[in-house]
Amino acid sequence: MSALVEVARPAPPGALLPQRVRRRRRTVAPYLYLAPGLVLLAVWVYRPLAQTAQLSFLSWNLLPTSPAVPVGWDNYARLFALPDFGASVLRTLGLIAGLLPFTLLVPVLVALAARRVSGRAARAYQALVFAPLLVAPVAGAAVWSWLLEPRAGLVNRALGTQANWLQEPGPAQLAIVVITGWHVLGFAVLIVSAGLTGINADYADAAAVDGATPGQTTRWVVLPLLSPTLGFLGLMTVLLAAQWSFPLVDTLTGGGPIDATTTVYYLLWDYAFGSFDAGLGAAAGMVFFAGFGVVALLLVGLTERLVVHDS
Amino acid sequence: MARIRIERVSRRFGGVTALEDLSLDIAHGEFLVLLGPSGCGKSTLLRTIAGLLAPDSGRILLDDSDVTDLPARDRGVAMVFQSYALYPHLSVARNIAFPLRARRTDRAERDARVAEVGAALGLSGLLDRRPRELSGGQRQRVALARALVRDPAAFLLDEPLSNLDARLRTSTRAELTELHRRLGSTFVHVTHDQVEAMTMATRIALLDGGRLEQVGAPHEVYDRPESAFVAGFLGAPPMNLLPARLAERDGALHAVADGVDIPVGLPVEQPEGSTAAEDSGRDVLLGVRPEQLSVRRDGAPGGGLRGRVRLLENLGGEEVAHCLVGGIRVAVRGTRPLGVAVDDPLALDCPSEFVHLFAPTSGRRLERRARDRIHVPI
Repeated sequence: MSALVEVARPAPPGALLPQRVRRRRRTVAPYLYLAPGLVLLAVWVYRPLAQTAQLSFLSWNLLPTSPAVPVGWDNYARLFALPDFGASVLRTLGLIAGLLPFTLLVPVLVALAARRVSGRAARAYQALVFAPLLVAPVAGAAVWSWLLEPRAGLVNRALGTQANWLQEPGPAQLAIVVITGWHVLGFAVLIVSAGLTGINADYADAAAVDGATPGQTTRWVVLPLLSPTLGFLGLMTVLLAAQWSFPLVDTLTGGGPIDATTTVYYLLWDYAFGSFDAGLGAAAGMVFFAGFGVVALLLVGLTERLVVHDS
Repeated sequence: MARIRIERVSRRFGGVTALEDLSLDIAHGEFLVLLGPSGCGKSTLLRTIAGLLAPDSGRILLDDSDVTDLPARDRGVAMVFQSYALYPHLSVARNIAFPLRARRTDRAERDARVAEVGAALGLSGLLDRRPRELSGGQRQRVALARALVRDPAAFLLDEPLSNLDARLRTSTRAELTELHRRLGSTFVHVTHDQVEAMTMATRIALLDGGRLEQVGAPHEVYDRPESAFVAGFLGAPPMNLLPARLAERDGALHAVADGVDIPVGLPVEQPEGSTAAEDSGRDVLLGVRPEQLSVRRDGAPGGGLRGRVRLLENLGGEEVAHCLVGGIRVAVRGTRPLGVAVDDPLALDCPSEFVHLFAPTSGRRLERRARDRIHVPI
């Protein structure tokens, strides 16, 4: 028999709360934190969505005195039979393509240039770029309609053109794209500036010591690290371009001339509140909701694969 | 392969002076450690050498050319950042190749260099990974590989070990020293860690408030600190500093204060025509390292310092007793057990050759000049 004894391990800690109680506490807490946000979402997003879905199966002319008649899938059948629908989707795609330079290219150039300005001048510069966003869209549209006036308007006089901007299809589309772009540019510059600020300055310093020129540093280091921001802005543009342009379209062109500026949002609004066909408007709303949902999922998946995240 | 000369460099940030009229000559092949507390200007100095910051005044010379106005990319020095600053979107191989890509080296040579440097630093199996898939130690080596890949004139290291755990830091320290020995290049290493400085440096430059406190080999800085700041910065615990006054005792100068009466190892000089001993009555700051103090065992009267033990710290092999001597904290460090207990009165001795004196206002070291006078070195 040995005289050596093994030293015991430190004793285990004392009694714990029963496992079940601890687990329940851990599962309940997160939902309590989420509750206020969930309630707001339910009241302001999910309830209207459910009502729209319900409305899309009814025929109703918005008059409280007239009854809403169930018509099954009839509204959807009519929607796809009408030529407006496909045309408005194409026009919306055109609007998105026209806006992408204003939300991606120009903001990156402006934000990179703004980094060279410092102190009070930088602040004034940022304020100037951001100011259009603070102008109410309808007020901005009113001023633009004077500027675009065919005979005495400043735009025609400055450009030396004679275009009837808001009454010809091509110029009207261009005007809507440029004015919407002018309006959201400040927001995009702000987002890109924030993205640039979020990039650790060590990377640019390291690139400089490694021998990169400022141009190489921008191309090889800054832009790749900015990709999450640019992905976000691209997604916003695709999903929201038609919404951003809505107040301008409504004020300046009313969707015309000859439907040239009727985007998907303007179309569904026009169905419901122009033609008093609530069921058709609701059906269009449901289709666009589903369509944008699919597009959003695809884009999120795509950006997740393309962008790099700074760890 | 470079000599770095810093001539009268100053730099301010708003109202804060980061560097004040600082001059330093770093010889080719040196491992110079810039040491100091946070905010002392050491990182500012390193970034000024790298070309990432322009000095307000003064010059930076690499070998014999003035590079003060040369942008960082043209200076030919490499830098390892505290955060490593590995480009997160590039693989390890492309991170290492970045300096070559910026210089438009052709692809075949680039790949060969990356493979070579990667192999030298044990990164061969990791070349296709992204930085976020690496451990802290691996990231540190990638940052080093990126610096090594283009044979820079000098290596600037900004606290490269501070993000590593204690064990890895010890082994990386040895690897860096070995790398320096093998390459023979100039290394400038910024740290606030005195152990790093003492173990790696061929010379230490100690900074405080944007000014140089002392430049010298590790043993010089430790054994003969030129200011009370240096004395109080180095050592664990650092040197004990006690205000005292010089007085004459039996033909020798003693430092005297409440609980203190210790010979300072200087004979009394009596200027002709005077009866008072020179320097007697002068206020000084007395400095003694904790490990040079010994506890008087027999409880006999006397002893240079007399106080009471307030706290004992067990370091494993050694023990530190924190005492109060006339209201001033004094640490004693020695092999465990020291043989004292908390609240014990104790008497401490120190050989006079380990007694340091500093001027109380300027904090500079007091020494006997060749003419045998105490003076403040400039």
